[in-house]
Amino acid sequence: MIDIQTIIRSIKKLPPFPGVASRALKILEDPDAAVSQVIPIVQYDQAITANVLKLCNSAYYGLVRKVRSLREGLVLLGNAELKNIILAGTVVKFLQQENKGYDLSSGELWKHALASAVVSKIISDRVNGSEHPSLFTAAILHDIGKVVLNSFVDRYFEQIIALVNQGGCSFLEAESEMLGINHAEVGAKIAESWNFPEDIIRAIRLHHRPEEASDDDLLTPIIYLANIITLSMGIGVGRDGLSYRGKEEVMKRYALKAKDLQEIVVDFYEEYNKVQDILML
Amino acid sequence: MNLNVGIADMKVSNDPRATLVTYSLGSCIGLAVYDPVARVGGILHYMLPESRLDSNKAKRNPFMFADTAIPLLFKSCYKLGASKGRMTVKAAGASQIMDASGVFNIGKRNYAALRKIFWRNNVLVDAEDIGGTVNRTMRLSIATGQVSLKISGYGYKFL
Repeated sequence: MIDIQTIIRSIKKLPPFPGVASRALKILEDPDAAVSQVIPIVQYDQAITANVLKLCNSAYYGLVRKVRSLREGLVLLGNAELKNIILAGTVVKFLQQENKGYDLSSGELWKHALASAVVSKIISDRVNGSEHPSLFTAAILHDIGKVVLNSFVDRYFEQIIALVNQGGCSFLEAESEMLGINHAEVGAKIAESWNFPEDIIRAIRLHHRPEEASDDDLLTPIIYLANIITLSMGIGVGRDGLSYRGKEEVMKRYALKAKDLQEIVVDFYEEYNKVQDILML
Repeated sequence: MNLNVGIADMKVSNDPRATLVTYSLGSCIGLAVYDPVARVGGILHYMLPESRLDSNKAKRNPFMFADTAIPLLFKSCYKLGASKGRMTVKAAGASQIMDASGVFNIGKRNYAALRKIFWRNNVLVDAEDIGGTVNRTMRLSIATGQVSLKISGYGYKFL
């Protein structure tokens, strides 16, 4: 078995979360923050600015007018959406990479992240009525651990998949067994190192183990379900496939039946078509 | 020339230069049909078993559901000169999350819907690669009728 410290070290080698983005996100957490506070921070980062404008102009938001400046984007979309957009525009470069270990070509993990975000919103509207403020962020980041665990999964894939096929393990359990850590745990450690809030770190850590979330955790079970549905739809799915556990108790918690799942899939299809242009960031 | 068949989508062709391809077959089903005499074929990628779930949405996009999509696949091929008696029928997909309770089993329901429709219409499936927990990509060459699968983690095979 590989030394877990080697994996932890490679988490530390990941580039830090861009200071510009984290400062902007911090300010935007305050719903009363003024537009003028964020613009001076973001505008000097061209990559983020360009992505923010592309996202603002995507069909997903369906804005009638073309957004040409950060200020316009902010005014039209508001703080909460702008926070999502800055986040997406920042992490997209990590998620766009090819992941050989999971057999995901470049862009696939991003596609999965975005699709999960779309599904999570549909589920949340259905079961909670209102949206958890960290929902988008947690959905986008839930598999960030794969970016680091990728090369280790590549090296030990034969042993991992044997544990799945012959040992009855889920892919997550097989990662833990073979590597001493799984992609959810690695993802939580990355989010920690990027100073994300506790609720997001927890949702990433438990996104395959929602039964360990406390009753007042309204985020983790939604992220879990969104991921399971996105996996079922085959979107951004690698050679770990659908080898993850279905947890009936989460369905029961929200009184969801098989038919509800299918309705979520239908809603997803229509919403997902609207984000196709965001996939090209 | 690759013609991409999206999720809840169908393409048929009689262009020998065309290869139809559909990605992201998790619990969805990819259905490839081909008439070797007319050299007409098509791929359907449907998501869910039955249109009664939401008949309005089924009208907007009939390719979402097995019961509205499968007849359309055959009819579209007939329009290009295919005949039912000559057509080969191959299916792939219907993967599953690991779930003993069955509540997440969209794949199994998708496959059951396919069997039911084919049984009623006297259609035999020539080859299939169904179930498991894998993600699949399906290709159909219009020149040869050959159907190939990429099964993530396991490589390529002909169906």
